[in-house]
Amino acid sequence: MEKEQYQQLEQQVTPKPPYLKNIVKAFFVGGIICTIGQAVSLFYMTFFNFTEQTAGNPTVATMVFFAMILTGLGLYKKIGQFGGAGSAVPVTGFGNAVISAAIEHKSEGYVLGVGGNLFKLAGSVVLFGVVSAFFVALIKYILVTLGVVSW
Amino acid sequence: MKKLQTVLLLLLSISIISGCTDKEKFIVYGSPQNEEELKAVLKEEDYVEKTTVIQHDDKMLVTVQIKPWDKWKKAKLEKKLQKKFDELYPDKEVFVSADYKIYYEANKVKKDGLEDEEISDKIKELKKLAKEEA
Amino acid sequence: MVIIFQTKPSILAGGVVAGPLEKRSTFSQYFDAISEDERWQMKTNEQGHRKMIQEACEIAMKKAGVKNLEVDFFLGGDLINQMTPTNFAARELAISFIGLFSACATSVSSVIIASLLTELGASNFSIAGASSQHNAVERQFRYPVNYGAQKPATAQWTVTAAGFALIGKHNDNLPSIEAATIGKVIDFGMDDPFHMGAAMAPAAFQTIQSHLEKRKQKFYNYDLILTGDLGQLGLKLLKGMFAESGVKQEELTLIRDAGTEFYGQDEAFQSGASGAGCSAAVFYSYIDQMMRAGRYKRVLLVATGALLSPLSYQQGETIPCTAHAIEITMK
Repeated sequence: MEKEQYQQLEQQVTPKPPYLKNIVKAFFVGGIICTIGQAVSLFYMTFFNFTEQTAGNPTVATMVFFAMILTGLGLYKKIGQFGGAGSAVPVTGFGNAVISAAIEHKSEGYVLGVGGNLFKLAGSVVLFGVVSAFFVALIKYILVTLGVVSW
Repeated sequence: MKKLQTVLLLLLSISIISGCTDKEKFIVYGSPQNEEELKAVLKEEDYVEKTTVIQHDDKMLVTVQIKPWDKWKKAKLEKKLQKKFDELYPDKEVFVSADYKIYYEANKVKKDGLEDEEISDKIKELKKLAKEEA
Repeated sequence: MVIIFQTKPSILAGGVVAGPLEKRSTFSQYFDAISEDERWQMKTNEQGHRKMIQEACEIAMKKAGVKNLEVDFFLGGDLINQMTPTNFAARELAISFIGLFSACATSVSSVIIASLLTELGASNFSIAGASSQHNAVERQFRYPVNYGAQKPATAQWTVTAAGFALIGKHNDNLPSIEAATIGKVIDFGMDDPFHMGAAMAPAAFQTIQSHLEKRKQKFYNYDLILTGDLGQLGLKLLKGMFAESGVKQEELTLIRDAGTEFYGQDEAFQSGASGAGCSAAVFYSYIDQMMRAGRYKRVLLVATGALLSPLSYQQGETIPCTAHAIEITMK
């Protein structure tokens, strides 16, 4: 059997990823995580002196804390398998990436293991997040200067 | 499946109940002399969902909650409203905020029944809080 | 390349140890020991991996009543960088040792070498086999164990198990190795590390086909042709390739796959089991015992291995694969 022929066979046999099902699942899992985040945010506004502006920071920290507990208990990977992007895109997914790497590399010590590998997965999120933020800001700055939009 | 049904039923009933117990959406607290006028001014703005105004002397704190889809333009609408109030009441010190926290606190002022100087102090405090960043 | 063993070295004993999750395996009743702890009470996964190998070898020796001083060679491998788990286990076992790497096909390639050494008269007793530990493999080839990445339906689950066989001189009452095929490295251009079955199936196809050709045998001359860890999709592809080449449907039912059956058809494991420990555990427990019981008289064991590294697929290389086969007979 030739390569091309085999690749055809492979295409036939391999099931197509259930995109629609995955999207619906991701929508609900992501929605639930964000609803919890909103509740945490409201909690900080109701019981502490945080405004909508400033409640973001403690909310993110709390959500990462929840992600940490779920990761440590081995539950986040189950949520991830079910929810896909729904659990990977919110900040809890970022927390999971950092924390799972920390747990994994603890065996190599705190400096070379945990320290060196903490951002193994999340590193590119940080890098490209900063880079894309820079470009978005640059484009907006140009548009504002040209008078197309206002800040 | 049974569980799912109960959850759905629960959610539905909660939404119905919360829809029925609609509280007063436009509240003015403090000096009542311009209450109707203020309400009329705020009702002109169709993006305002709920509002609570607290005032004392020449100080006025206008807190609004913006309708969900208009929230995208929250900062702009806040500024627009601030300008409108500044023009309408040039002799008053008006502060407009669309922040939930400020709205919540303003309602609390009414609930706690604060009076006169206490209101002034609270307005000052909330203004400071609203201007905080990060 | 097909080797025919004149002296027919025998599998004197098998030793299979598996992790806690493998209790769910359909083959778990045939395993010699199942650990309650995936790290074997050690500090790291890799140390647990080593301990598991050690235990499996010790069980195989104990079953045959052989002491490690009497064993001439230890041949084996795993999937971890530089094969430290097996190397370190060899240090503990203190047997002359060569580490072998054919990825998941090491379970058979090691037995082929052991049989050759036996045939040569250089070895009275040799231990051969392979192992894999889920967490250690996962972390090296994919992501940290607790990272919540969604795996596609084509992915396979690396088994935590070690399977070793004690190979010795021919014994009429024991399953014996009659012939073997050392496979070529086949690359059909597959490059998805989450779809290894598709990459490995062509290698299995080539090896089985050339083995049958050189041995002048047909499918029905075997009671069973068992592949190592193709998974559900890989098995389908292998059967598809044979169907294309004119093998009849009823003959295709002789082909089974250890990886497909390992965890039953549990969807949690996607396409099935994989790893060097998967084929080794099934071959040297279930198959060994079935042959001793006389259920099977002639089987062809085909272990497939995907010869990739995290580096190679990140650099965009395709996944070359190999498959090694041994023909085991029972009088």
